[in-house]
Amino acid sequence: MNQPGAAPSSSVTAERPTTTIAPRRGRAQTNPERWVDEHGDCLFRYALVRVRRREVAEDLVQDTLLAAIRSREKFAGQSSERSWLTGILKHKISDHFRKLGRETSFTDLDSLADEFSEKFVPEGYWVHVKGPKEWKPESDEVMHRAEFWQTMRHCLDKLPERIANVFMLREMDEVESKEICSMLSISESNLWVMLHRARMALRECLEINWFNREK
Amino acid sequence: MLVWIISWATPKCRDVVRILSEQMDHELPLMMRFRLRLHFSVCCWCERYMKQLHYIREAARRFPEHADEAGDPALSPEARFRLKHVLNSQ
Repeated sequence: MNQPGAAPSSSVTAERPTTTIAPRRGRAQTNPERWVDEHGDCLFRYALVRVRRREVAEDLVQDTLLAAIRSREKFAGQSSERSWLTGILKHKISDHFRKLGRETSFTDLDSLADEFSEKFVPEGYWVHVKGPKEWKPESDEVMHRAEFWQTMRHCLDKLPERIANVFMLREMDEVESKEICSMLSISESNLWVMLHRARMALRECLEINWFNREK
Repeated sequence: MLVWIISWATPKCRDVVRILSEQMDHELPLMMRFRLRLHFSVCCWCERYMKQLHYIREAARRFPEHADEAGDPALSPEARFRLKHVLNSQ
């Protein structure tokens, strides 16, 4: 019986998934399985935030771990294993969006609509009660908490897809602006508008759902 | 009077927030940087906004390492099995 959602490139037709599989080769076989057990969920969750599709996220995790196997001698332990694998995943995600950018038009006029004009009076100043609130506590204290990251994820998921893509390429992958423009075939001014919208929306969402939430 | 002059001489808040976002991605001319500083002297909200942009940047940079804590979903058992099979066949 075929598994539901089996990847097209795989010829596996397992009746019942087991947690381990007998390895074929002698050289450090347990590492790839251990990577799946220890890092699979984290890599998958990050990939899913980035691409929003399960099948694509699974493929990206597979590509990441395959690349990691091929280059594991180069991992000299300067960073944690998870940082190293996450770094490879980020490159795979960039390649994914580079390919997507060539195939589809990346600007989305709907996502460029100004949703925050009501925060300013016609003269251009903040409406007093709608101005940014003070955020406490400081980042070091907050960023240890799982609930903060759940809120962050919730806010990222709320962004329109194309704006989220651009923001995460810039802020998570730290891709330079010019390279993002080249990857996605968008102008710099389009990029800046999209980043501005993303930052305004995220700031608002974090303020409402975290820093100013009902305690 | 001074507040009025500074408000007149510097960008409006709606433009400042846009300029602050651009500043995250490329360096602004010296005169604009000076005008922003001047604007902050009469507008605490825009200065707060700038700090919050940096906060968001830091959170975004740390997010990949904390994706695990960001909640469900996880790899399905089928996906996990398929991954291990593909990796072990290398």
